[in-house]
Amino acid sequence: MSIFNRTLIIDKNFIRFVNSENFPPSRVNLSQEKEEASVPEIISLFETQVLSRHIDIKSRSLKDEGNCYYTIGSSGHEGNAVFGKVFPYTDLAFLHYRSSSFFIERSKQVCGMTPIYDLGLSFVASSDDPISGGRHKVIGSKKLNMPPQTSTIASHLPKAVGAAFSIDRAKNLKIKETQLKKDSVIICSFGDASVNHAAALTAINTAAWINDQGGHVPIVFICEDNGLGISVNTNKNWIENSFSNRPGINYVKTDGLNLIDLLIQTRKAEKICRINRVPIFLHMKTVRLLGHAGSDIELGYRSLSDIEKTEFNDPLLHSARILIEKKIISKEEIINLYEHMRNRVDHVFNSVISRPKLSTVKNVMSTIIPNKHKKELPEIPKPQLRKDLFGKEYKRIKECQHMAKLLNYALSDILLRYKNTIIFGEDVAEKGGVYHITADLYKKFGVRRVFNSPLDETSIIGFGLGLGHNGFLPIPEIQFLAYFHNAEDQIRGEAATLPFFSMGQYTNPIVLRIPGLAYQKGFGGHFHNDNSLTIFRDIPGVILAVPSNGKDAVRMLRTSVREAYQNGRVVIFVEPIALYTKKDLHEPGDNKWAFRYPEILDETSVGEFSKYGNGKALTIISYGNGLYLSLQAKKEIEKKINKKIQIIDLCWLSDINITKIIKSIGLCKKVLIVDECRRTGCHGEGLLAQLSSIINHEISIKLHAAEDSFIPIGKAAKITLPSKNSIVEQAISLVNE
Amino acid sequence: MNKKRIVVVCPGRGSYTAETCGYLKSEDKLIKEQINFIDQKRKDLKEPTVTALDRMPFNKKFHMIGENASILIYSCSLEDFLSINNSTTEIVAIMGNSMGWYSALSFSGALDQLNSFKVVQTMGSMMKDNIIGGQIIYPIINDSWIIEKNKNNQVMQLIEKAGAFVSINYGGYLVIGGEQESLNNLLKTLPPVKQYPYQLPYHGAFHTPLLKNISKKAKKLLSQKIIQKPTIPLIDGNGKIWLPWSADKKDLWEYTFEEQVLRTYNFSESIKVAIKEFCPDHLVLLGPGNTLGGAVGQILIEHNWNDIDSKDAFFKKQNEFSYLISMSLDSQRKLIAT
Repeated sequence: MSIFNRTLIIDKNFIRFVNSENFPPSRVNLSQEKEEASVPEIISLFETQVLSRHIDIKSRSLKDEGNCYYTIGSSGHEGNAVFGKVFPYTDLAFLHYRSSSFFIERSKQVCGMTPIYDLGLSFVASSDDPISGGRHKVIGSKKLNMPPQTSTIASHLPKAVGAAFSIDRAKNLKIKETQLKKDSVIICSFGDASVNHAAALTAINTAAWINDQGGHVPIVFICEDNGLGISVNTNKNWIENSFSNRPGINYVKTDGLNLIDLLIQTRKAEKICRINRVPIFLHMKTVRLLGHAGSDIELGYRSLSDIEKTEFNDPLLHSARILIEKKIISKEEIINLYEHMRNRVDHVFNSVISRPKLSTVKNVMSTIIPNKHKKELPEIPKPQLRKDLFGKEYKRIKECQHMAKLLNYALSDILLRYKNTIIFGEDVAEKGGVYHITADLYKKFGVRRVFNSPLDETSIIGFGLGLGHNGFLPIPEIQFLAYFHNAEDQIRGEAATLPFFSMGQYTNPIVLRIPGLAYQKGFGGHFHNDNSLTIFRDIPGVILAVPSNGKDAVRMLRTSVREAYQNGRVVIFVEPIALYTKKDLHEPGDNKWAFRYPEILDETSVGEFSKYGNGKALTIISYGNGLYLSLQAKKEIEKKINKKIQIIDLCWLSDINITKIIKSIGLCKKVLIVDECRRTGCHGEGLLAQLSSIINHEISIKLHAAEDSFIPIGKAAKITLPSKNSIVEQAISLVNE
Repeated sequence: MNKKRIVVVCPGRGSYTAETCGYLKSEDKLIKEQINFIDQKRKDLKEPTVTALDRMPFNKKFHMIGENASILIYSCSLEDFLSINNSTTEIVAIMGNSMGWYSALSFSGALDQLNSFKVVQTMGSMMKDNIIGGQIIYPIINDSWIIEKNKNNQVMQLIEKAGAFVSINYGGYLVIGGEQESLNNLLKTLPPVKQYPYQLPYHGAFHTPLLKNISKKAKKLLSQKIIQKPTIPLIDGNGKIWLPWSADKKDLWEYTFEEQVLRTYNFSESIKVAIKEFCPDHLVLLGPGNTLGGAVGQILIEHNWNDIDSKDAFFKKQNEFSYLISMSLDSQRKLIAT
């Protein structure tokens, strides 16, 4: 037996040590504790642990045969079966990847579940896999309230906090779309190494922060501490020292190798959390067996004696010791059980190998956009209700206003119509947001629906995603575009991938408002004028809206909310700060960039663009500030070339309908794309490539984008950006080519 | 040689018919002993022996009443079960349909010889003097044996409206239980499909809340002590697996005489769990008869099991390889019987 084949060694050791009754001693003294475990439940948990182990063992052999692709296993973490037992399946669980035991044990709570088969399908990436349809080996289930997780970096923790917060808030607000039981709690698990991730720390911080303010966050953070992050040791007592005395967090410690201790401590944690609605940090000390994953050779970074010492602390051996000490079953029965489970897993996994796999692009991509949750829209509020809501502003609705005011009206109407909408972010409540877009909403709808968040973007977005898991429609605000970047993964890695990896069974609807882009009057500077939307360009399934004026902004915001509500979509709504209060287009007082508030049913559907003019001498395609500047330039260009031109406002930077745009370009032979964002990676760059590759008649297409520079402060703030003059110059040069 | 891994499926009421008369014909000594034991117990109760019943010309009024039908079905299933060749097969799990659950308990070791008889005899005789309600059967599939969700939803609405209950999820059919008045309503409102809706003669409203008193009585007559841990995994009418190590005798007793009596028997879920969680080489239907065959086929189609996606595909696959073995068919029986 090769010392490198630890799977085989651990497998054989179990039988050998049970037969010889050579067991690891208990690490905890339970003599003072009142027994809280029945005989059948201990055996049942052990059965689960054994099944989980055999699944790991089998997955390693399937990998060697080329039939399994992801062998991060659950060995050493089989104690999490107890969490699967103690927490009812109605408690939403965001789990890390070593959670097979949890999954199997929770399956026992729901009739007709087939956990071994389903895990098998997931391991062999079959399209029959009921959760991801062959897109990843994930531990997840719709029936068991386990959203699938692929993340290993604790990025699921912020949304777990949001989901926890949503439970009591939904109860208070009587949200009819709520999906979780009123007394439920949220559980989320992660490893000790993941605790170092910003997402973990920020989530725990937010939960504690809310609890400290008296808010309810019924969440159990389960840290499954195996002492290793792949090859790096976690500092001794690091987790306990970091979290046992943290304000706002209740710390409970348990030995992950001891089923009895696990049952006692988990029940204690569960009870405190459920009754007191407070965050708990449940620290499960355990071991990691079989390396980090199938491809990891531990001997490369750990001594053999260290590995053997850990292996002797196999949770299955600890459980077997308990069963024999308590005379529950004999060693022969334990071996018999162990082999029975091996036999079952072998047969089930052998049978799933032949199940179909994803085989076409269409199949793979079919779940990027969720469409299984088409909901009926709430009714339009009665005129009197709107009148009461708007108060003295109601008369002004018919007057032309700037974008900031119109967006404020739109949000009022949205909050009135969609009772499950909720607004939060930095300074959005009393202050009404830095740019007053949310002004007075706090007064009109109360602190339960419009509230300030901690200054932390990861938490803000994650919080929203969690709320979305429980029937809310969150409309959070990120104060500036540049601040989004530290929280990017909440959209890229979490929100956007959820429908993909759950075949649309789970969605996290959200409309994320972000004031952004450059051209602001005042001090300039990169952090408040960031002009790059590249980060959103390649995320499948995410809608990106960038209105250029108040009328479109209102219509597009309504569409965004409807898409999120009806179809569970993730929408990024970028509002050009520089255009918020613009009323004039060409000259002071012309009021040509102020608009009347659109009728309540008016919308601009995703992908629909606006057109200004019909001239065929030149087509300018732009959006946001670039559109505004292009319209300013239009007069001068037309005068100079003595011909008419047309300008297209893309409105939506995702879902660009290229066929329709080409149709609008028609026979026009000159196209200027004006993009206010940095040239490299800007949306204009993509549009240029698309148009060039599709249009097959003679045509000149040019991109006029911002320089690949950050925005400086002071008077230099706009010099790297397209301007009215530069657009005129580029346009004439193109027309005269 | 590797043993064939099988899941044994025990039939329920209605499986003993005119065609199955004379089913008990084994000359095997052990089997004969078992049947003799049942005969003796029946004599003690002054009931016709099962051997006598089986040899009589079929008489609906006699053979189909609970106290006779149950013991006949159990005995025929027992004979088949004992005929399985243990040297070439491994029974990985046992399940049943409706009263077949009592047979499953017996064959899994959860009931000993005497208690098996007691349970079957007692539960079969519960409505001796007064049948409570009744059952009708109605299809929710199309001609290809594919379940039509819309149809199922419509039928469910009618059932609710009539104040009836789903008694058994039976593959492509719903067995509906309820008071006769509710059933009469359904017999009128359910759109006719071939011979359906059809009321099952001499059947009570099994697996519905109407049997509350029966459950209470059963729990009085049949104490907790009669249940042992099974030695072979059991799959119940909820699709729950009872394993030999963790099975809780009290819970099993509660399930058997309360939940199982009062709630829908989800045969479809049981089969699903059997095929997916045990992946047997064969499903083996014990006799008498082969009435479960169609329902099992429809469940296999529902789960696209072995790529079976229609009635035609099911029969084609069966012709190539008998995944489903019916012990009442000689050609299939010989594949696993001694």
